[in-house]
Amino acid sequence: MRSARRSPTFGLFLGLIITLAAVVVYSAYITRQISGLRALQNNLADRYRKDSLQLLRIQNDLNSLGLAMRDMLANDEPYPLTAWSAQFQQIHTDLSDALQREQQLAVVRRTPEQMQELANSFAQFWNAVDRTFALVRDGKEKEAREQIRISLQTRQASLTTAVARQLVENNAGEEQAARQIGEIYDRVQRQVYLFLTATLIAILLTSLYLIYWNRRLFAQLDALSTQRSELAQKLISTQESTLRYISRELHDEFGQILTAIGSMLNRAGKYAPEGSTLRSDLQEVRDITQTALDNVRTLSQALHPVMLEESGLENTMDWYIPTVEKQTGVAISYKKSGAPFPLDGSASVHIYRILQEALNNVARHSGAQQAWVRLHFSPDKLELEVEDHGAGFVRGAGKPGIGLVAMRERAELLGGTIEFVQPAAGGTLIRLRVPKTRMD
Amino acid sequence: MDSAAALSPPQQSNPGFRLVDVTSQSGIHFIHNSGAYGGKFLPETMGSGCAFLDYDGDGWQDVLLINSMDWPGHRRVRTTMRLYHNNRNGTFTDVTHRAGLDIEMYGMGVAVADYNNDGFPDIFITCVGQNRLFKNTGRGTFLDVTRESGLAGREGFSTSALWFDFDRDGFLDLFVCNYVKWSPAQDVFCSLDGKHKSYCTPEAYRGETCWLFRNRGNGTFEDATATSGIFDTSSKSLGVAMLDYDQDGWPDLMVANDTQPNKLYRNQRNGTFKDVAVEAGVAFSNDGKARAGMGVAVGDFNRSGRPGIAITNFDDEMVGLYRPLGKAMYEDVAVQSGVGLPSKNTLGFGCVFADMNLGGALDLVVANGHIDETVRNIRGNVGYAQPPQLFLNDGAGKFRDVASEVGDAFARPKVGRGLCYGDFDRDGDLDLLMTTNNGPAYLFRNDQLSRNRAIRFRLVGTKSNRDAIGARVQIFHGESSQSRLVKSGSSYLSQSELPATFGFGQADRVDRVVLDWPSGRTEEYKNLASGKLYRCVEGKGITPLDGF
Repeated sequence: MRSARRSPTFGLFLGLIITLAAVVVYSAYITRQISGLRALQNNLADRYRKDSLQLLRIQNDLNSLGLAMRDMLANDEPYPLTAWSAQFQQIHTDLSDALQREQQLAVVRRTPEQMQELANSFAQFWNAVDRTFALVRDGKEKEAREQIRISLQTRQASLTTAVARQLVENNAGEEQAARQIGEIYDRVQRQVYLFLTATLIAILLTSLYLIYWNRRLFAQLDALSTQRSELAQKLISTQESTLRYISRELHDEFGQILTAIGSMLNRAGKYAPEGSTLRSDLQEVRDITQTALDNVRTLSQALHPVMLEESGLENTMDWYIPTVEKQTGVAISYKKSGAPFPLDGSASVHIYRILQEALNNVARHSGAQQAWVRLHFSPDKLELEVEDHGAGFVRGAGKPGIGLVAMRERAELLGGTIEFVQPAAGGTLIRLRVPKTRMD
Repeated sequence: MDSAAALSPPQQSNPGFRLVDVTSQSGIHFIHNSGAYGGKFLPETMGSGCAFLDYDGDGWQDVLLINSMDWPGHRRVRTTMRLYHNNRNGTFTDVTHRAGLDIEMYGMGVAVADYNNDGFPDIFITCVGQNRLFKNTGRGTFLDVTRESGLAGREGFSTSALWFDFDRDGFLDLFVCNYVKWSPAQDVFCSLDGKHKSYCTPEAYRGETCWLFRNRGNGTFEDATATSGIFDTSSKSLGVAMLDYDQDGWPDLMVANDTQPNKLYRNQRNGTFKDVAVEAGVAFSNDGKARAGMGVAVGDFNRSGRPGIAITNFDDEMVGLYRPLGKAMYEDVAVQSGVGLPSKNTLGFGCVFADMNLGGALDLVVANGHIDETVRNIRGNVGYAQPPQLFLNDGAGKFRDVASEVGDAFARPKVGRGLCYGDFDRDGDLDLLMTTNNGPAYLFRNDQLSRNRAIRFRLVGTKSNRDAIGARVQIFHGESSQSRLVKSGSSYLSQSELPATFGFGQADRVDRVVLDWPSGRTEEYKNLASGKLYRCVEGKGITPLDGF
């Protein structure tokens, strides 16, 4: 029985710890991977994208400059060339802002020399713009247009090419970053599957272990219950046989002796002179003997009513209930209903004992002056009810007495049920139900 | 009654009003003539505009419908703009000839205002070619003063225009949008099949700068385009609205550009403007694309006290609905507000913010219609004629298109272009006037079904310009407030009436009204009864009229 005593708690804890550990490890791993991914996206992919956006902004500004210069050269507006200065100023402001942001975002690819070269090119372009507008202000519109054609448009085209080259480089870098991100995603996906599989296996093993131990526990409980039931049956059986033996001994042995003593005393008394002291003493002794005989018979009946075996439960109850009334002073209303069916001896004894214990409780604990006993035979079962309107069971009054335990045991031996309920009027109602099949 | 509690957000099942087509019964019989003869000239697809104006100052809104004409060499019929006088009984009389306005021109848009502060509204017509300024004589007639005013000799492809007092000198200045450098001589051959000519997209032409003309106060104007910083040859402008986006009391301008970034010109208070559209978040769509902006409307649609902006765009681009975010910033909330998706397959032109159900929040009305008659062959779910849309504002940031619920005639597909509002029958609610390209104009009378109430204000400037254009009217009722700007222009090629209309559910009083005049003066009036129009004269108090 060593294995039966071994607790499954350790195994269950171990399974739980393994599962939790797997989840924690999995979460930590994923968190780390996501952090890495975020960092990569922030550091690389997002920077490439943001940088490309700024380069597009620069390209758009350069394109706007190109259109403005085209319109300036078209010479079909009624406005002087200075009218374009606000447009150039606005583009200049936006371009400067875009260049500054772009330099902050530019990824490692560009050398400081390259960046400086681009900045210089822009500076030269704006210097040329300033010179052009200076010519305009001096009234030299023709020279200014020439300057636009020769210098500004060439520089603008060159800047556009440089920015376009950077955009191409950025796109290549972005693609590489996207590949790296894709690889991380693939790795994470693989690991996720692996961890999920491991976690599922751990959960499965723990569950199987739990099921195994549950089954074992239930089997043990079942065995214990059977043992307890057998033990109770044996105890009650032993008690009944002991009581039956004592009852018979009392009835047969002591009853015969006392009956013989009584007969002899009766005969002796007839020989004593009429009115003599001896005769009266003998009569007194004979009365005592008769009282002792009656007490012995009553005790014998109480210990094991022979009537149960000879006349059955109903007749025994017919005798027993008035006896209890006399002994206890509790008025008992007894009602019998339904079509009686024969009961085997053992069942009769158990039912009788339950009745006996119930009425004892009424007399001793309830304080009630009246009780009701109802015996009902239905086609499939027997129902016995004992009701009083006394003190009833007090909740939390401690452990139930041995009497109640014995009643439950007997009901269980009968394969029936017993319930203790409180009627609406208070007190106690004990209801025993025994299936007919268990009493044949 | 608690005023805030009286605000009645629109019911899901019932918009609370009907729009009844009364065009014919009111005596308006107008058909736009685009001049299309097969030459597929770009301007043919664009016109034309309309306006509610009270040209005779009798307090009843009259109707002006702009018309184009046949192209030279292809004359078939003589067509002119039409001025309809309000007979005060639901009908109109065509007074075009009597008013001296039956002049042929390739008209596009209109801006109406009293530029000479004589008490009568004057009319500026944008054209393909020479724009025209008509001075109101005050005797029911108009004089063409284009040349005398200094606006002659400037030909272009002008579209929307508006009057505003950008230097706050008390005289209204003029802003004119130009689309592209186009003339019949500069026309480009575009084709879908390589054989037959089709209408070109604006990419085929160079942009053209908008014009700003400063009113000298003596009936003449000077060109301030270059000196003000408005000059920009990259723009292809179709719509313009004035607003005070930075709340500094100086009027700014929102310009909708077609295929080019929109412009938001911030008034720098020194006679110059600076384009801040990119910083403000209104230059591009949310994905950074320059859309095909057509019309523009400005209004305090989220009752924040700051102007929101709606810009109609090409199909597949959605209406841009810009909500003010803090100081001088905007966020396009078209999608989350419920305006974006329904406008995905429509090409919008005219657009107005107007509280159509008088529920207390500005609703958005959009006139739709494509430019390409064969668009359905290319995009099956987009039609040439398209139903207009009426987005009812629930006051909590959500809009719902109820066009199909307010009237079959209104919801019927049209090739919509111009759109404006005005209370022509003086019942307190806002009626709609809509034009279609090469088709009829429509007058929709607003019949309220709910018991929502309105209050209206007609402002007269003394120190400020007489029309009080640029004045802000703010009403407070309970915990809620609403604001309106007295403005010219906006929408597309069109102009709505000048009086400011507020709906506020079933409340019967306004707790407080604050008037911020363009001159800088602020006036406050308390406890005004609804159901009336109030005449507010700058510095001289407020007078309720019996009714509207």
